[in-house]
Amino acid sequence: LTTLLSWGTPLLAAEAKVNLTTRSRIIAAVAAIFFFVLVLDLIRRRKLQERYTVVWFILAVGLLAGGVFPQLLETLANILGVRDTNAALFALLLLLLLALAFESTITASRQGEQITRLAQENALLKLREADRKTGAAAEDDES
Amino acid sequence: MLASSRDQQSQTLIFLPAWNEGESITTVIADVQAELPEATILVVDDGSHDDTVDAARQAGAEVAVLPFHIGLGAALQTGYRYAQENGFKYFAHLDSDGQHPPNQLMRILEPTWTNSADLVLGSRFTQEGDTPGSEFRSSPLRRVWIHILARLVTGIHGQRFTDITSGFRAGNHRAIDLFTQIYQPDFGEIEAVQTALARRLRVKEVPVVMLRRELGESYLTALPSIRFMFKAFLNLMVGRFRGTAH
Repeated sequence: LTTLLSWGTPLLAAEAKVNLTTRSRIIAAVAAIFFFVLVLDLIRRRKLQERYTVVWFILAVGLLAGGVFPQLLETLANILGVRDTNAALFALLLLLLLALAFESTITASRQGEQITRLAQENALLKLREADRKTGAAAEDDES
Repeated sequence: MLASSRDQQSQTLIFLPAWNEGESITTVIADVQAELPEATILVVDDGSHDDTVDAARQAGAEVAVLPFHIGLGAALQTGYRYAQENGFKYFAHLDSDGQHPPNQLMRILEPTWTNSADLVLGSRFTQEGDTPGSEFRSSPLRRVWIHILARLVTGIHGQRFTDITSGFRAGNHRAIDLFTQIYQPDFGEIEAVQTALARRLRVKEVPVVMLRRELGESYLTALPSIRFMFKAFLNLMVGRFRGTAH
């Protein structure tokens, strides 16, 4: 019960904690900046639609923030009850990727429906066009 | 034939979803023409890579060609759309592999023409057992499966069904309007019935004689049946509560 009541405070405070090393922080920050530039460049070259970029910007900003302010990740690790900040980072990334994959499936479903609709309308249009042509040809024959 | 029946025939669209049925479709179309000379026949080709399209045109049917293979539901919905766009009041659809004999069409069309049902399902079973004269014998596993599904739908909706996955169906403009809006691109048969019931359409099951599949592959065996079962169960669970707005 006491452990439940102390929710929010580190559960394993007594144990030694593993924090991010300076090197991993620098790598994260550099990767974030690189990624940021990449996304901007893809938008500039019209290879990526703006509406799909929000989440990627959030990812880049999050990565940068994690590198610059390691306390953020440490707080997160505490909330999750993880001793190793790196593990917290991985957990966060995994969740984010899961969310992204899920979002893609939703998009794919919507687009599948749209494609079906297009295919059906295409089939009916072509049929109507063919019937119109044969109808016109029949009239020509009569006259 | 009664005069009124002739009028209704000319307001009826018979459509056949087809996927690589070039060998059987000619006969089926000819049989439908003999049975219902006034009706319009539409073949919806679901991305066949054999001569289905040419064979159907030769036989004198209208042919709508989907640009690639999508699924039975998408092909059926194309038929419903055609019916709606061209103002047909009644429809019937049957498989193009010869499994649904055209001489049974009158049996399923009759309740819609006499306005005693909005959607009619041709069933290979009666309430007691197989429809007399039916040659159709599916594998024991599949029979069990069909019965389980029928029982479930019966339990959920409080109306007795024996052959809920039957692709031999007829109906009127109410069903056409509904299915034009909502139809699952694959394995949509059960949900279609559920949607119809939810919209208070009068759904009726009529015993018909079905034949053994002559040629071609069944949509059901061609796709992993595990997926089908999963989807059927999911639809049964969700179908009732699903929003009808689309």
